[in-house]
Amino acid sequence: MSHLFRKFWAVFAVLGLGFGLAGMLATPTQAASKDNGEFKVGMEAGYAPFNWTQNDSSNGAVKIQGSSEYANGYDVQIAKRIAKALGKTPVVVKTDWDGLPPALTSGKIDAIIAGMSPTPERRKTIDFTNTYYVSNMTIVVRKDGKYANATSLKDFKGAKITGQLSTSDYDAISQIKGVIKEPAMNNFPAMRAAIESGTIDGYASEVPEGSSAEAANPNLKMIHFAKGQGFKTNPDESDLAIGVRKGYEYKAKINEVLAGISQKERTQIMNEAVANQPSTGNTGNWFVSLMQQYGGMLLRGVGMTILLAVVGTLVGFLIGLFVGIIRTIPRPRSTGKRGLLRLFDWLLAVYIEVFRGTPMIVQAAVLYYGSAQALHLSIDRTAAALIIVSINTGAYISEIIRGGITSVDAGQFEAANALGMTHFQMMRKVILPQAVRNSLPAVTNEFIVNIKDTSVLSVISVSELFFSGETIAGQNFQFFHTYLVISGIYLIMTFTISRAFRLIEKHMDGPKNYNVMNNQMQVETPRIGGAPRKDAE
Amino acid sequence: MKDEMILQVQNLHKSFGDHEVLKDINLDVHKGEVLSIIGASGSGKSTLLRNINLLEQPTGGDILFHNQSILSDDFDVTLYRAKVGMVFQSFNLFANLDVLQNVMVGQTTVLKRNPDEAKDHAMELLERVGMAPYVNAKPSQLSGGQQQRVAIARAEAMDPEVLLFDEPTSALDPEMVDEVLNTMSKLAHTGLTMIIVTHEMQFARDVSDIVCFMNDGILAESGTPEQIFEHPQEARTQEFLKRYLSRV
Ligand SMILES: Nc1ncnc2c1ncn2[C@@H]1O[C@H](COP(=O)(O)OP(=O)(O)OP(=O)(O)O)[C@@H](O)[C@H]1O
Ligand SMILES: [Mg+2]
Repeated sequence: MSHLFRKFWAVFAVLGLGFGLAGMLATPTQAASKDNGEFKVGMEAGYAPFNWTQNDSSNGAVKIQGSSEYANGYDVQIAKRIAKALGKTPVVVKTDWDGLPPALTSGKIDAIIAGMSPTPERRKTIDFTNTYYVSNMTIVVRKDGKYANATSLKDFKGAKITGQLSTSDYDAISQIKGVIKEPAMNNFPAMRAAIESGTIDGYASEVPEGSSAEAANPNLKMIHFAKGQGFKTNPDESDLAIGVRKGYEYKAKINEVLAGISQKERTQIMNEAVANQPSTGNTGNWFVSLMQQYGGMLLRGVGMTILLAVVGTLVGFLIGLFVGIIRTIPRPRSTGKRGLLRLFDWLLAVYIEVFRGTPMIVQAAVLYYGSAQALHLSIDRTAAALIIVSINTGAYISEIIRGGITSVDAGQFEAANALGMTHFQMMRKVILPQAVRNSLPAVTNEFIVNIKDTSVLSVISVSELFFSGETIAGQNFQFFHTYLVISGIYLIMTFTISRAFRLIEKHMDGPKNYNVMNNQMQVETPRIGGAPRKDAE
Repeated sequence: MKDEMILQVQNLHKSFGDHEVLKDINLDVHKGEVLSIIGASGSGKSTLLRNINLLEQPTGGDILFHNQSILSDDFDVTLYRAKVGMVFQSFNLFANLDVLQNVMVGQTTVLKRNPDEAKDHAMELLERVGMAPYVNAKPSQLSGGQQQRVAIARAEAMDPEVLLFDEPTSALDPEMVDEVLNTMSKLAHTGLTMIIVTHEMQFARDVSDIVCFMNDGILAESGTPEQIFEHPQEARTQEFLKRYLSRV
């Protein structure tokens, strides 16, 4: 009962807080996705040959919104043809797979062209055009493995097979009798790495993805099934179509454009995509070439990660101090003020419970997509990310500071009260300096957690370090190497932070010794608690 | 003797839950008076002081400061506390501030004195308690007696009308007791109004104008030091003093 009640309040408050903040920061943009001459297309830009990210505009790539990078691939070429027919400029909005439907319904994008199949499940929330790519499924395996010479699904009896999460490819694995269906994985680089490491025997995918894998990695092989021995596909389930909002005005027009692209032309586009996709460029030292090719992208990722962590921790810290001050206010004598304080206390308690009690990834999605969908507000995704990290960290640091305040000796409060200090004077000059010092190790911890955990913000496509890593691994297929570099960078950042804060702690503790002053003229007027020193007249 | 009344405690009651600690206390304090409260442990002496400067909220009766009830809703409690200082058994110096800052912080934040003025005042008082050479020390770097002398300077720095002392020497090693008592004796001779809870009978006898004997939540007897120490009327007072003085 009370559990349900709590839950209700949690959801309610997340929404409330989210929308409240969104309202403050956002510019109402009913027309965000309307006729401003752009055709905004959502895709992962990490699913070659359908879509990928590259550094320049070669081979007719399209600029990625809010980034200096470009997207290209089969999907991008189709998007360009449609945009041209609509008389609009194509814009690619790089979005995580799970973020695509909410981005569409909330108006952040006009269409999903991302290798998506029009499943009945998806049709409940969004609409689809006619097919723009006819499915043909395969299984990718190790070239020197047990299943390399398979020609029929029957050969995969007892094989460990996986596929991409929430795709029809994954569902289709069930057609193989006696297969060991492994848990679905998030992206193809991860699956390729899994094959190489031997944790799976193969993964189900579309044929073009298979050719890419073969081309990129000599250890992999795509199975060519004998006629009638492969996957049976239901066009609804596995052919690819373009996702649009229900009642989208240009749907008929898009179907017209698609009808005008012949099968031959489609094959042609796909062949070009396979040929143009970024190569591994496996020459010389892998580290040097990785840095040469993706150094900029990594650096931008590091910059975003640091921005999120620094701002989040700083603002969170200020929130924590504020909450700490409010929640320790003694009960006022007048009943009116007492009621107000109690209400405030209650709100803060709800805030802390809600933001500590729900995953940050959910909070980000609710704020970013929820505000757009329900209130037609469009928030910049970096702003949304900063807000969420700050508020989330604030909830944790509030509790840390509260602990720090509780651990200050009661005599300190009494002495300050006995001098006639107000609550705020006491907090600022006496209690918080001690509470903050007590809390500093825990705050450092929050900072470090923020460096790492802001990676979940890729759900709203914030290009922090981890998201950059995913993109790079999606292009160079060097899953292990890329993530090795990424973890090295994370380690350098977190290590630097923990050392820096050790120094700050030392500084706050002050000198271990004091000088006995025998000459009173030496004594300077000190500053207390950062209060500015007034100049003596 | 001295007729201007500063503090009046009237029918004061204080209970913690159903444990009644103060049972109908009446006390008048005149300007310039030094009043000592003696009594057995647990009799409610600290509780009385803590009620007087509102660290505890009385559960009955009233306390008047210059004939004004300090319990009324519109009474300015922070201003009152600035005028009624307190010295604690456990010193309670601000751990994050050094000696000089401890003595300055009340002046600059509560009294809004400018820092240079506050510093000069602080130095003068620290000089008087013999702590001027230690201005840069943190409380944790000082002995108990030194800390208590700084605490006295801190309370004095507010130019209070009344100073409350709650067993200021009980937490000290014997050899440090005298330095603190000397400091307090000097203060007593400046004409400051003081209420002192103490177990130092000789000191109480020497500096007090009035001595009150507290027993089980009531003020059992009060009078001049001679009256209380030489000719106690109450059996309870005699009993307490006999036990106490035979020990010394
Ligand atoms: N916050 C509190 N809650 C409950 N009981 C309390 C509280 N503070 C004091 N008491 C009780 O009130 C009684 C008087 O305590 P108080 O500290 O005033 O005694 P005292 O005369 O100062 O003793 P001592 O000489 O040992 O300091 C004791 O029985 C104590 O347990
Ligand atoms: Mg006591």
